Amino acid sequence: MKFEDAIEKSIKSFLKGSMPEELMKVQGNPVIYTPDYMDELETDLADMEPEAEDEVEDV
Amino acid sequence: MFDPRTIGPIPGENYTADTRNYPWHRPPEIETYDGTVEYVMKRMNDETTAEIVYSLMELGRPLTNIVAGLMMQGIGRGKFQIDMAILAAGPVYRYLQILADSENIKYEDGLNAKRTPITSTTLKMMMGVVDDVDPEETDPESAVEAVSEGEGGLMAPAQPTEEMTATAEEQALMLGGSDTEEEVV
Repeated sequence: MKFEDAIEKSIKSFLKGSMPEELMKVQGNPVIYTPDYMDELETDLADMEPEAEDEVEDV
Repeated sequence: MFDPRTIGPIPGENYTADTRNYPWHRPPEIETYDGTVEYVMKRMNDETTAEIVYSLMELGRPLTNIVAGLMMQGIGRGKFQIDMAILAAGPVYRYLQILADSENIKYEDGLNAKRTPITSTTLKMMMGVVDDVDPEETDPESAVEAVSEGEGGLMAPAQPTEEMTATAEEQALMLGGSDTEEEVV
């Protein structure tokens, strides 16, 4: 398997909601960047209203 | 006679080489999953990296290829190992998706896509290079139209036109007759 194929396979499994369980066991800590975290990040970014040009202060 | 052993490594050469010459020979700087994802996410804050990534997305390069490239850079710089790069590819992909959506950039996701071979033609199209080629030569429809509008091919039947049709008087002259009736002696 090529590196690009492995990357694609990893991406697909992440998008399905899979997480590296064994790695989490070895590390002993839950990981931050889970699919749920990324979904929340997307929602937060979508909710952020872009600043109006008048409000931007020149430094 | 060519002996391939002459260009290969000498047995035991690996024990004499300095394995600290390359970053990927040394222990990785980042060993955690979250650290790896954070590193790539921070790289997107770099103006040059972001410009390149957005440009590649706009050019239609699959997002999976862009992620693979970013990961390969990290491995090459000795930041993280290959295994960790593969594990962290998912969140990085998702992060790039979010960034692209927030910037209203249309992108190819690259999942379940057939691999398109990179040729000189595709590179020229991506770079906007146009050859000085007569478009009629490459466009078969225009060539067909050009033939149909003209006299046709070598083996095409002759098309009667008004200009080619002789008048009745001309035809009579060609047949040896004359427009005036000869006097009968």
